[in-house]
Amino acid sequence: MMRGFSRVPLLGWLAGGFVAVVLEIQVGTLLAHSLGLPKIPVLFGIVTALKKPLLFPGAALYVLLIYAVPIAVIARFTAALANLAAGRLLAFPLAVSAAVHLGLFYVTLEMWSGLSDYRDLVLRFTLIAVMVTLSLNVINGYMGEFSCSHPGFMAVGAYVASVLTIDLFTSHRVFGSALLPAVLGPFLFPVILVVGGLVAAVSALVVAIPSFRTRGDYLAIISLAFMFIVKSLIENLEIVGGARGLGGQPDWAGLPTVFLWTVACVWVINNFVRSTLGKALNAVRDNEMAATAMTVDTRFTKMVGFLFAAFWAGVAGGLFAHVLRYVNPGTFGIQKLAEVLAMVYFGGLNSVYGSIIGAVGINLLGEALRPLEIFKWIIIPLLLILVMIYRPTGLVAFKEFDPEAILKPKTDPERERDALPQG
Amino acid sequence: MALFLQNLVNALQWGSFYALIALGYSMVYSILMLFNFAHGDIFMVGAYIGVGVAAVLIAMAAQGALALPPWLILILTILLAMVLTSFVGMLVERIGYRPLRAAPRASAAITGLMIGIILETGNLALLGARRIRFPSLIDTTVYEMGGVFITNTKILIVVVALLLATGMHLFVRKTKWGLAMRAMAFDYVAVPLMGVSINGIAALTFALGSALAAAAGILYALAYPVLDPYMGITFGWKAFVAAILGGRGSVMGATLAGFLLGFIEIFTAMIFPSSLRDLIAYSIVLLILVVRPHGFFGEPYSARLRL
Amino acid sequence: MKRKALLSVTTCIAAVFALSLGVSAQTIKIGLNIPLTGDIPKVGEGSKFAAEMWLADVNGAGGLEAGKKKHKVELVIEDNEAKAESAVKAATKLITEDEVLVIVGPQSSKQAVPAGGVSQDRATPMISPWSTNPNTTKDRPYVFRAPFLDPFQGPVLANFITNEFKFTKAAVLYDQASDYPKGLAEFFKGAWEKLHGAGSVVAYESFTTKDTDFSSQLTKIRGSGAQVLFTPQYYNEVALIVQQARQLGLKSPIVGSDSWGSAETVELCGKDCHGAFFSTHYAAAGATGATKAFIDRYNKKHGYVPDDVAALTWDSLRIVATAVKATGGLTGDLKKDREAVKNAMAGIKKFAGITGNMTFTPEGDPIKCAVIVRISDKGQFEFYKSVCP
Repeated sequence: MMRGFSRVPLLGWLAGGFVAVVLEIQVGTLLAHSLGLPKIPVLFGIVTALKKPLLFPGAALYVLLIYAVPIAVIARFTAALANLAAGRLLAFPLAVSAAVHLGLFYVTLEMWSGLSDYRDLVLRFTLIAVMVTLSLNVINGYMGEFSCSHPGFMAVGAYVASVLTIDLFTSHRVFGSALLPAVLGPFLFPVILVVGGLVAAVSALVVAIPSFRTRGDYLAIISLAFMFIVKSLIENLEIVGGARGLGGQPDWAGLPTVFLWTVACVWVINNFVRSTLGKALNAVRDNEMAATAMTVDTRFTKMVGFLFAAFWAGVAGGLFAHVLRYVNPGTFGIQKLAEVLAMVYFGGLNSVYGSIIGAVGINLLGEALRPLEIFKWIIIPLLLILVMIYRPTGLVAFKEFDPEAILKPKTDPERERDALPQG
Repeated sequence: MALFLQNLVNALQWGSFYALIALGYSMVYSILMLFNFAHGDIFMVGAYIGVGVAAVLIAMAAQGALALPPWLILILTILLAMVLTSFVGMLVERIGYRPLRAAPRASAAITGLMIGIILETGNLALLGARRIRFPSLIDTTVYEMGGVFITNTKILIVVVALLLATGMHLFVRKTKWGLAMRAMAFDYVAVPLMGVSINGIAALTFALGSALAAAAGILYALAYPVLDPYMGITFGWKAFVAAILGGRGSVMGATLAGFLLGFIEIFTAMIFPSSLRDLIAYSIVLLILVVRPHGFFGEPYSARLRL
Repeated sequence: MKRKALLSVTTCIAAVFALSLGVSAQTIKIGLNIPLTGDIPKVGEGSKFAAEMWLADVNGAGGLEAGKKKHKVELVIEDNEAKAESAVKAATKLITEDEVLVIVGPQSSKQAVPAGGVSQDRATPMISPWSTNPNTTKDRPYVFRAPFLDPFQGPVLANFITNEFKFTKAAVLYDQASDYPKGLAEFFKGAWEKLHGAGSVVAYESFTTKDTDFSSQLTKIRGSGAQVLFTPQYYNEVALIVQQARQLGLKSPIVGSDSWGSAETVELCGKDCHGAFFSTHYAAAGATGATKAFIDRYNKKHGYVPDDVAALTWDSLRIVATAVKATGGLTGDLKKDREAVKNAMAGIKKFAGITGNMTFTPEGDPIKCAVIVRISDKGQFEFYKSVCP
C-alpha cells in the first residue's frame, strides 16, 4: 500500500488536491451541515474541534471525506497517468513543467481560498512569511550569521512601497492628490515593490559593511541596533504618520500577485543558493580563512548575501503593507523578530524546503490554535523547543531544493532509492 | 551644571540595571558561548518571586512570627529570591540548553527565546494580566545637594550593583569554580578531560546568572515598582547588546558596557530631543562596533564559532 | 465498500441529529477582537471580563430583544495578540467564519485602524471601545467608537489649567510610540500655545512604549522652568512618572487625562499622586448610579476595580444592544441584519452610558462631557469640575 503511494509524482498529489477542492466547493456545505458542523471547517477542522470539542468527530470525518480520502484515492489511481504526463512535461524545458505544476497548484489554492475570505487572508500572510523566512535563511542559514535586522528591512520596504503607491495613486492628506491615474497602478505595482526592495537592499549596507571586519555575535548586535534605529527613525518621520502609522494603501496585493511574487522569490533564491555564489556563502560560513584561500572573495560574497536577502525582505514588506493596507513602526519590532527567527529555525537552516515548511507551519499553527487564547503561546513555544531538541537544525535542514527532482515522474522507487547517496 | 550632575546620577542608576542584567547575561554568554534569550524573562521571574517572598515575609512579620525590621526583610527577600531564581535558571538550562549542547548555538538561542515566551505567557495565565506593585520595604528619602536630587534607593541600587559585580569578578578570578568556568570558556573539549563536569559548570553558570537577574529584578522593582509579565523583554535584548559590547569572555567588560549603555541612553535624551533617543543611542552603539569590531574587552579573533 | 456503507449510515444519523438541533431559536453572535496576549494583556482581560458580565446579564434576562423576539447571545472572543496583522485576521475570521452580527474591538488604534478597514469592506458594523485615532472611523460608515477624541480633551485641560492656576508655562511628557498619548499631547500643545503664545510649552519630551525610566526627560523638564507637567499616559506609567518626578525634585502640579482613570493609578503610585488632577469621563471612585453598580460588581467578581477600557467595552456592548433593539426585529439574513444594525447604530443620537452621556457626530464619534477629577489626600478620586464641549 505504502509502496503504491511512493510512486505518486507531485503532479498526482496536485491533481488529488484539485479534486478535493472541487469536491469541497460542490458538496462541502452540504456535508458540513449533515455532519452537524455550522460551516465548512476553515482550517482542516482544527479550529472547529478546539472551539467545540463535541464537534470533533464531525470535523474529523469531514476532513477525511473531503481531503484525505479523495486525495489518496486520486493520487493512487492516477499515479500511472500522472507519471506519464510528468515524464512528457520533462521533455520540454524545465520551466514549462514547473509552470504547469504551479498553474495547477495556484488554481487549487485560488478555489480553496475562494470559499472564505479568512482562508484567503491567512494564505496571503503565509506566502509573505515564506518570502521573509527564506530571505532570512540566506543570511542565518546559508551565510551563518545571526542577523536580527530583518524586521528593519521589511519596514524599509513596506514604507517605501506604501509611500510610493499612496503618493502616486491615491489622494492623501499629506501627499496630496494622485499624481498618476489609478489605472496604471496595478501595472506599476511590481516596479514599486522592486524599488522598495532596492531601498531595503541599500539600507542593508549599514549591516553589510561592518560585516567585513566582524562577524558572529558582534554582527548580531549591529543588526539588532539597525532594527532599533529603523523603528525609531520611522517613529520620528511625521510625514509618514510617525508612530500612528500609514494607512490607505490600495488593495493590489491579491492572491495572484502575492503568489507570483512568492514563486519568483523561491525560484530566484533557490537558484542563487545553488549557484557558485551560493556555495561561496556556505564556504564563508564554514571557514572564512579557508574560503579566502580558495579564492572566494569573502567581502563581495557577504555583501551580495546581505543585499540580496534584504531585497527580498523589502519586497515582502511591501506586499505585507498592501495586504494589511496599513503599516506602523510598532509592527516591525522585537515581536516580529522573534516570529521570523522562530520560523527559520523551526523549518530548518540552509534549506528552501525548511523555510517553506517553517513559515507555513508556524502560520497555520498560529491560526489553528486561536481558540486556545493565551495557551496558544505556551503550546507553540513548547512545540518549537521539542523540535529544537530532537532536530537541532530544524525540521528539514541542509536539504537541496532541486526542482527537477521534485517534478520528475516516480517510476521505480526501488531503483531510485538505490541510486540515492546514502547518509 | 546641576542638570548634568543630576543626569549623571540618573545614568548611574539606570546603568546599574543594565550592568547587573548584562552581568548575568554575560556569565552564560562568556562561559557557555550561548545567547541566553530567556535572561530578560528570568529577570522578570526574579522580580515576581521577590514580590511573593516579600509578601510572605511581611505577612509573617505582621503576625509577629518574625520580628524583623523592613531593611532586613529586604535583604532576606533579595537573598531568598536569588536562591529560588537560580533554581529556575538551572531548570531552564536543563530543559532548553543541555539537550542542545552539540547543536548550533543559534538553535539554543531559539529555545531560550521560546522558554522566555513560555515564562511570560505562563505568568499571564497564572496571575492574570494585572500589574503588580512591589511592596515598599524601605521609605524613599530624597536628599538634595546643590540642585542634585538623590534618593536612598538610588544609592542602594548603585552600591549593590557594584558589590555584586565585584563579587562576581572575584568569584570568576579567584575561586576553583571560577577557574573551571574560565577554562570552559577557553576550551570546551579539553576541560571535561581534566575531570571537570560540563553539566555541573553549566548549571552553576546558569544559577549564578539567574541569581544576578533576580537581584536586578528586585532592585529594579524598588525603583520602578510596577511589574508586568512582559517587563523583561526589552531588558533582555538590551543586556544582550551590553554583554556583547563588553566583549566575549569578560565579566567586567559586560558590567562596564551596561553602565555605558545606560549613560548613552540618558545623555542622548538630555542633549538631543528625547524622541530621537533610540535613534541616536543605537547609532552610537553601531559606530562603536564599527570602530571596535570586537567590543571593548573581547579577543580580536576566536576560532570557537561553532555555527 | 463495507466501510463506505458504514460511513454513509453514520452520515445519515448525524444529519438527523443536526436537523433536530437546528430548530432552536436564532442566536445573535457578537465578536470580540481583543488583545489577550502581547503588549497589553491587561486591556484584553478587562474587556473580556466586562463582556462576560454583560453576557451573563443579557442571557440571564432571556436574551437580547429585537422586535418581539428574544435572542440568546453568543460571544466569540478572538485574541489579536496586540498585532495589526493578527487583528485583521481575527476580524476577517469573525466576519466570514463565525458570522458575527457585530464586532466589538479592537481596542487600540494600531489594531483598530486596519481592522476597521476589514469591517468596512465586508459591510459588518464594528465598534471600537477604546481607539482614539481619527482614521479608525474616518470615511467608514460601518465603524463606530465609544471613547472621545483627542481634539476635545486637549483644549479642555489647557483651559482648566489656565483658569485654575493662571500658569503660562507648561511641560508635556508623552509616549511617542503610542497613538493615544501622542495625539493628546499634540492637541494639548496646540491649545496651550494658542492661549499663551508660541514657545509657552517649554518642554515637550517623549519616550517609547515600555520605557520605565524617565529621569533624563524629567530632569530636562525641571530645568525648563515649567509650572505644570501634563502627561497623558496610562496608569502604570503614571505611577512611575509621578514618583520619579517627585524624587527628582519636580514640585509643580501634574495633570493627566482620562487614561489615569483607573483605581490602580493610586494603588500603584501611592501618595506621590495625591493632589494631581486629570480629566475623565469615568471616575471610578467618585462614581454613582449605574457606573458604581458596574464597578462594584466587577470588583466583587474579579477582585479589582475595572479600568476605563472595561467600562467602555460595557458601554459599547450596550450601544450594540440598543441598536439591535432599534432594528425592530432580525430577519435571519446576516447581510440585511448587519445593514440594519449599522443603520440603527448610526441612528443613535443620545446614549446614557456608564462612561457618561454621549451624543454621536455623523462620523460615528461620540461627544461627551469631561469631568476634572482631583486625587485627594486620601487617594480618592474627587469630582472637581465638569466641562462640556
